[in-house]
Amino acid sequence: MKRTIITFVVSALVLATLALWVLKGHFSGNTQEILQAAVVIVLVGFAVFLGVSRLRSHLRREPSEDELSRKVMTRASSLAYYISIYLWLFIMYISDKTSLATHSLVGAGILGMAVIFFVCWLGVKAFGTKNA
Amino acid sequence: MHNRIRELRAKQDLSQLELAQRVGVRRETIVFLEKGKYNPSLRLAHDIAKLFGLPIEEVFLFDDEVLEA
Repeated sequence: MKRTIITFVVSALVLATLALWVLKGHFSGNTQEILQAAVVIVLVGFAVFLGVSRLRSHLRREPSEDELSRKVMTRASSLAYYISIYLWLFIMYISDKTSLATHSLVGAGILGMAVIFFVCWLGVKAFGTKNA
Repeated sequence: MHNRIRELRAKQDLSQLELAQRVGVRRETIVFLEKGKYNPSLRLAHDIAKLFGLPIEEVFLFDDEVLEA
């Protein structure tokens, strides 16, 4: 339960910081800033989703984590790592052919990694994970 | 790997949630096990078999054993 509360508190703080950044007029809406905001929103969205899932487990008096959930995270992480290598390779390839600044490309890479991890996690949840 | 969890659970009139709570895992894990989407650890397999009062090999069956049966 402690980890769930921490997840929600950290997510709320990150969102509040993002809101402050936008409301204080520092957000100009260029590609780089949109990418940065997207990274934050995707990561916070995933954290909130996991937090809600843990909270529901807690309400059903189940452990918030067990061997399956740990295995799903491990498998999704390893898959995402492999795929991310190709993403960075692709970003390196297009870096010479695009006018985007380096920090925008790095932002895109981080957002891509977050999305890849989320897709892998969904895939492992959908298809299961066997030791076969 | 195949298992008889659904069948044994039905015999003992246990819900997925009750079984999950008794062996200390999430209900989702029982769902995955029954659908054959997850092979349990030796510890979990042992706990489930013990709960049903059967040896592990009577609850969890390898594919070739199922074909032979």
